[in-house]
Amino acid sequence: MTTIESPQITAPKLPARLPEPDGRAVPFARLVHVELRKILDTRAGRWLLIGIAGVTALVVGIVIFTGSAGSHKDLSDFLAATVIPQSILLPLLGIITVTSEWTQRTGLVTFALEPDRTRVGRSKLVSAILLGLLVLAIAVVLAVVATGLCQALRGGHPVWSLDAATLGGVVLAQLLAVVQGVSFGLVLQNTPAAIVSYLVLPQAWSIVGTLVHGLHGVQPWLDLNAATTPLLDASMTAENWAELGVAALVWVVLPLIAGVVRLRRSEVK
Amino acid sequence: MITVETLTKRYGGYTAVDDVSFTVRPGAVTGFLGPNGAGKSTCLRILCGLTPASTGRATVLGRSYAALPNPGRHVGVLLDASAQHAGRTGREVLTLGALTMGLARSRVGELLELVGLSEAEAGRRVGNYSLGMRQRLGIAHALLGDPEVLILDEPANGLDPAGIRWMRTLLRGYADQGGTVLLSSHLLHEIEVVADELLVIGRGKIVAQGPKTELMQATGTAVRSTDDIAFERVLADAGVQTRAAGDGLQVSATPAQIGALAARHGVVLTHLAPAGSTGLEDMFLRLTAADAREAVPA
Repeated sequence: MTTIESPQITAPKLPARLPEPDGRAVPFARLVHVELRKILDTRAGRWLLIGIAGVTALVVGIVIFTGSAGSHKDLSDFLAATVIPQSILLPLLGIITVTSEWTQRTGLVTFALEPDRTRVGRSKLVSAILLGLLVLAIAVVLAVVATGLCQALRGGHPVWSLDAATLGGVVLAQLLAVVQGVSFGLVLQNTPAAIVSYLVLPQAWSIVGTLVHGLHGVQPWLDLNAATTPLLDASMTAENWAELGVAALVWVVLPLIAGVVRLRRSEVK
Repeated sequence: MITVETLTKRYGGYTAVDDVSFTVRPGAVTGFLGPNGAGKSTCLRILCGLTPASTGRATVLGRSYAALPNPGRHVGVLLDASAQHAGRTGREVLTLGALTMGLARSRVGELLELVGLSEAEAGRRVGNYSLGMRQRLGIAHALLGDPEVLILDEPANGLDPAGIRWMRTLLRGYADQGGTVLLSSHLLHEIEVVADELLVIGRGKIVAQGPKTELMQATGTAVRSTDDIAFERVLADAGVQTRAAGDGLQVSATPAQIGALAARHGVVLTHLAPAGSTGLEDMFLRLTAADAREAVPA
């Protein structure tokens, strides 16, 4: 059969040839770079970050202008204040980076370009952690500015020092929250379900554990929010550490393991 | 080069892909044809390591897909043009691909131009794209890493006629330079103009495979005359099988044999040609009749 090509359509040229592939796998650092970019290149991701910045500024404002003038508002107080909204909102970025592969179906492309799914999962975890640390660094800077501003506006003699235990505790709390977000995303593979579960389940457990008398013994061991609180003001006791370990195992480590198993086994459609 | 050996995929009691074996050779365009739900997409997903097979194996360039280092440089994949983040721009989608594969950023602009997405279109979010634009973006993504193999699922879906012609010429050129192309469609006409080889799948099984010319020859000749009823008797007397097809006849003989018969009996022919697409369509409908959702008139 002869096809008569109409004159206005010229044969499309093919893309320029590239040098032969070097036979190496995609380097892990490149995957992390791409995953970081994927968190930030959508409106959802960008607005979430803007939201975090906005809420943080609001919280700082509240701390500056509430309470009596001249009362001590130390650097560590401001840091704790800036960390709280972050620890709630930042894990949502971790959730979305994982679940969007399913809800937006980009997994078809992502896992075709890197078939080792555990590697993709790891790169998502690392990128979420890096972003968490970056935001935390910004929070520290913000806390310093806020402490200075508070002193200038309302007087007082704030304590400027920040001990290693407080900083370390804040970092650990932030990391736990971010990893928990990624884990919930991996387990549920669905954005709304993962966000709602992440926000509601631990709170619901706190309420149930407090109300139901028979659970009082178990409650502190399984309440991640309560277990994280002494981290933020460096008041961890040995028992606190044990409680934190158990709570983190249940709310962070086990979901992460289950999530990776699901990631490896599930069908990408 | 793609090799699929005794591939089966079961979902509970349902067998989506049933003992499928085929090879796709380089330097040719292979059309993967089948009605909706025949198992084409499942087969292609297994091929790309996105769906685990129940039994059997599939290799691309001699390895399982998962064993390909930096697979984007070897295999260009477009499984669903709509499977893109609605909030990313077209340019961003390609940039992410180029970054992952380790390509220069300039490659993105090159491919956008090649598939005919303008600067302004590339800056818009994919959520605002028409299906045709998404297909173009998907084809650009598949070609990004200069792969040896292209696996495209329904790439012509949503393209306008000019777009379909554009893609046809593109794939032809790509196969001519030695590439391996496997493209699926549920529309015969899209495939038959571009494919050299055909694979027809129905209810999870391969029902026909081979060079298109062979499969089309096997379908006979289409003929029309000023008096089809009289000519049908002539043909029947000569031992040629006939059946009504469209507004003419479809017969199991070559055009030369039919022409000779017509000349001998003084029949005026108004059309004489290899059955080609009509024949292939009949074959396609027949082969897949058991799977079709609508009854096919005999």
